Amino acid sequence: MNVLHHVPALLAFAAYEAGAWRLRRRGDRWPPIRDVVFGAGAAAALAPGGSTFTGHMLQHVLLGMVAPVLIVLARPVTLLLRAVPAAARRRLKRLLEAAGVLVFPPVAAVLEAGSLWLLYRTGLFAALGDSPWLHVHVFLTGLLFTTAVCRLDPVRDRAGLGVRAGALIGAAAAHAVLAKTLYVSLPPGVALAVADRQAGAELMYYGGDVVELGLALIIALQWYAARGRAEARSRRTGVPRTARG
Amino acid sequence: MPETRRSAWAGILTGIGVAAFLDETVFHQLLHWHHFYDRSTTEAGLVSDGLFHAFGFFAVVFGLVLVADLRRGDRLSGRALVGGVLAGVGAFQLYDGTIQHKLLGLHQIRYAVDLTPTTGRGTSSPCC
Repeated sequence: MNVLHHVPALLAFAAYEAGAWRLRRRGDRWPPIRDVVFGAGAAAALAPGGSTFTGHMLQHVLLGMVAPVLIVLARPVTLLLRAVPAAARRRLKRLLEAAGVLVFPPVAAVLEAGSLWLLYRTGLFAALGDSPWLHVHVFLTGLLFTTAVCRLDPVRDRAGLGVRAGALIGAAAAHAVLAKTLYVSLPPGVALAVADRQAGAELMYYGGDVVELGLALIIALQWYAARGRAEARSRRTGVPRTARG
Repeated sequence: MPETRRSAWAGILTGIGVAAFLDETVFHQLLHWHHFYDRSTTEAGLVSDGLFHAFGFFAVVFGLVLVADLRRGDRLSGRALVGGVLAGVGAFQLYDGTIQHKLLGLHQIRYAVDLTPTTGRGTSSPCC
C-alpha cells in the first residue's frame, strides 16, 4: 500500500464529507450525488499501477483524467468556500485570485499536455519510472485542466465558451498525437515489449477520448442551461435575450 | 420562426462528428481497413489527424446540443438541419480522404487491395 497515494485520497474524502455535513446541519442544500461522485473520484485516484506499460497507462488515465472529472463535478471549491468561516473564506478567495492565471484554460492545457509530452518524449520517463511524485503531478495537472475547462467551481478566470472549447480540443489533439507516437516509438531510454507498448498507446488514445467526450458534454450542457436561463429571463422582462452563442 | 443559419450550422457540426465517429468505429474497429498508425504517416498528417479527431467529438456533442436548443424554442428548420448534416459528412470525407489520407500520407484507406486491376484478373473488367 502506497502511503503517499492512499492517505491524501482518504483525507480529502473525509474533509469533503465534513464540509458537506456542516452545510446540511445548518440547513443548506448540498445534493447527495456530489458526495457519491467525489467518493468515486477519490477511489479512481487510488488505482494501482502494475508492472506493465499498459497498467501504467490505465493508472494515468484514471488518475489524471477520470478522477479529476469526478472530483470537479462534486464542486469541492464551492463546498470549501461555503463550509469555512467568513475570515478564512476571504483569505481563500485572495488565494484563488492569485492562482487566476493557472486556471486560464490555454495555460492549464499547456501545463497538462506539455507535462505528458515532456514525460514520454524525453528521458524523463526513464529517470522517474514509477515515482509517486510523478503520479501526484499527473493528478494535479489533470485536476487543474479539468477545473479550468469545466468552470463548475468559482474560479476567478471565467473564460468564454470559445476559449474553453479551444483549450479542450487543443489538449485532446496533443494527447491523441502523443498516443500515436508512443504506438510506434518508445519513450527514450526505456525497454518495453512491442505488444505492451502498443496496447498502452491505444488505451491512452481511446481512454482519453472517452473522458474528453465527457468534458465536451459538460461544457455543451452548461451552454444549454445558460441559454435556457437567458431565454426565460427575456420572456419575463420582455427584453430580447443577450446571452448569445 | 425557424433559424435557418443556426439549424444548418448545427447540422454541419453534427455531420462532421458523425462521419468521424463512423470512420473510427466502422473502418478502424470493425473492418480493420484503417490502421492505428503506419510507417508512411507524416508528422503533418499525424498532427492534422489529432486535431481533426479532437474536433470531431466536440462537434457532434455541440451540434446535438445546438439542435436541442433550437428545438425547445421551436426555431429548428428541419430542411436546413438535414442539408447541414449532409454538407458536414461530405466535408469530412473531402478533408479526411483527400487531404489527410492522400496529401498528408496518413495511413492507407485500405490495404492489400490492388487499386488498378488489370483486365482478365478482376471480375469487373472495363471492356468486353
